Amino acid sequence: MNADSPALRLRALRKSFGRPAVDGLDLTVRRGELYALLGPNGAGKTTTLRMVTGLLAPDEGDIDVLGVDLARDPAQAKRGMAYLPDDPLLYGKLKPTEYLEFVAGLWGIRAEDAEPRARRLLDWLDLTKHAHELTEGFSRGMKQKLALAGALIHEPELLILDEPLTGLDAAAARQVKDLLVSHVDRGGTVILTTHILEVAERLAQRIGIIRQGRLIAEGTLAELRARTQGDSLEDVFLHLTEGQAT
Amino acid sequence: MSATPGSIPWLLRHELKLAWYGAAVNKGGKRRPGSRTIIVGAVGLILLHVLAFFMLRELGPGMDEPALAIPVTFMVIACATFMLSSALSGCVLALFERGDLDLLLSSPLPSRTVFAVRLLGIVASTAIPYLYLGGPFANAALVLGHPGWLGLYVMVGVVAMLMACAGMLLTLGLVRVLGARRTRVVAQVTAAVAGALLFILSQLSSLAHNGSDGARQVLDSLLGPHLASLDSALWLPGRALLGAPVPLLGATLLAGLAFALTLGRTHRFFVHGLQQAASADRVRARPAGALRFRFRRSLFDTVVVKEWRLIARDPHLIAQVLLQLIYLLPLLFLILRNGTAGPALGTGLTMLCCSLTGSLAWIVLSAEDAPDLLLSAPAPWRTLQLAKLAAATMPALLVVALPLLWLTAHTPLAGLLVAFTVSAGVLSTGLIVLWTGRPAPRSDFKMRGKGNFLCTMLELVNSLCWAGLSWVLVALDGQNTAWTLPLAAVALAGGLGVLLFAWLQRRRPV
Repeated sequence: MNADSPALRLRALRKSFGRPAVDGLDLTVRRGELYALLGPNGAGKTTTLRMVTGLLAPDEGDIDVLGVDLARDPAQAKRGMAYLPDDPLLYGKLKPTEYLEFVAGLWGIRAEDAEPRARRLLDWLDLTKHAHELTEGFSRGMKQKLALAGALIHEPELLILDEPLTGLDAAAARQVKDLLVSHVDRGGTVILTTHILEVAERLAQRIGIIRQGRLIAEGTLAELRARTQGDSLEDVFLHLTEGQAT
Repeated sequence: MSATPGSIPWLLRHELKLAWYGAAVNKGGKRRPGSRTIIVGAVGLILLHVLAFFMLRELGPGMDEPALAIPVTFMVIACATFMLSSALSGCVLALFERGDLDLLLSSPLPSRTVFAVRLLGIVASTAIPYLYLGGPFANAALVLGHPGWLGLYVMVGVVAMLMACAGMLLTLGLVRVLGARRTRVVAQVTAAVAGALLFILSQLSSLAHNGSDGARQVLDSLLGPHLASLDSALWLPGRALLGAPVPLLGATLLAGLAFALTLGRTHRFFVHGLQQAASADRVRARPAGALRFRFRRSLFDTVVVKEWRLIARDPHLIAQVLLQLIYLLPLLFLILRNGTAGPALGTGLTMLCCSLTGSLAWIVLSAEDAPDLLLSAPAPWRTLQLAKLAAATMPALLVVALPLLWLTAHTPLAGLLVAFTVSAGVLSTGLIVLWTGRPAPRSDFKMRGKGNFLCTMLELVNSLCWAGLSWVLVALDGQNTAWTLPLAAVALAGGLGVLLFAWLQRRRPV
């Protein structure tokens, strides 16, 4: 992987489901930053993330992940990336230990590397005491935390999260936010979508706002404020996405 | 006429409306059965009336025979077993799977009303299929001058009510003894097995009627002359169904009493059972034991172990898979009885293994819980699919290993030929599901045939081709080479043709 390349570069990305969902999106996320992708419902955020993670094939455009062309070498591009969707990718009939074994197997992590990471993550996310329970009985927050542990077990450089805080209680949300900040502090990159603008306002170094599949504004919070003369991100967001519900 | 909101009739109407919506054959977003389903149902009902009319007319004076109460009683008992199975499923649905009870119980409606309506709903959903199938016989009998047969309508309601009460009491009793989580599994498995056991018994009985010993002798020795006499109380259900007033009244009173007692005595426990069900999925933190991991060396092993774990931990799914095999057993008995052991055993084993593999392949390949996780991983897609295919096919091959060894020891060539057809059938079934399967949740297992008609038909034809080839090849080992060779070629071409067709229809990943 090319260390000088951005964490993610999208060029003229298009995807249509009868009508355009993503319409010529150009986006660059630098390495080591926490980037928040915001937009009203149906703006194309999830479709974009699903294309970036290889779950959807774009109609047109290029996706470079950590300097690797996703279309040309998907396995290499996916190796440094983890995806955590709104609905956690779990197996109800597996225990957390078994789930982490499986995910480590998918990413080809050696046992001697995977085991200490798994222990550390379960401990960090307060899941050790539930390590021998089937995940089908977990609360929403516990499921989300376990999915996050799965996403982090292969120590991805790029972490992509779609609405990671939905349905979490304050304590779990705090844990997840701390984990994201810590990931960025250690040089990793985080791209997240959220409807909780306060989270983006507090955590994100740069914010991109998309509407109807196109990037309509991008920058730091200060830059966006200056552009729209709004006080808060909420003002900025509503100003830019005028006429569409959040 | 509209019922008062909050009353039992009002709530019952809501319940029946939901059941009507749930009866939609096409699940593609439709809220209720479409007009095509209704037309097919109506045509079926007319045909059943015609069939019933001719069957009963053929019976002629036999319709007045007191001895008719005996087979009718057996039929009532048979239906009661199926109804118990269906009622148990209904109770599991009512207690554990319907999401609307929290809403109902948090409303000002008395919990007794909610329980009564839910129980009546189970009675109705249990009785309706039997009314549909049995009603035409009662109507035809009426036309033929036997109004007593209208007792069938009452008896279907009576038996459905008794079985619904039994099902609810059994389910609530299990909740008390085993807890909600285990009850769900036990009730689902019991419901599945109850119907199947009866099916097997009925098949054994029909085998016995064909002249051999067995079930009939067992039945005769069980009953004895005093119990088998026509005026025995044992045949009261049959007499009630045929319209005898006193048994019919007695049965109705019994069902009413059972309903009132179930309602009066257990409605509080129903609420308690619901609370347990609601908390059943929540986990309690246990003292942390030592964390044990078993990271595997290869992706292949990791995937196979994961698939087997998921199957092994789903007793309901296992019961449903085994149920399919149980339904195949009578066929196997027939083949074994009528044919020579070699071809018959080979055919039976091939069909059984194809069926088992089809079920497991659907679970492993089509009902993947987290497909996005696999797609977003850098793991080679081919390895993942190969591992899944292995996970689906290995159990069938393990199951068949012992009978195959037995066959090979007795007739080596037949054993080898059957091993070939079984392996080919199993592998082809797995590949057909791999290529033509469609993603679906595991809970749709019973509906998988409807969900993907093409895949189901290909599996069936594939199974028949390889089973047929097995028969012909093993028979070829003995005699009749003039017709067996072309037949073998046709069966082989059929099997390979199905596989080729499935490959042409294959779906590609992203």
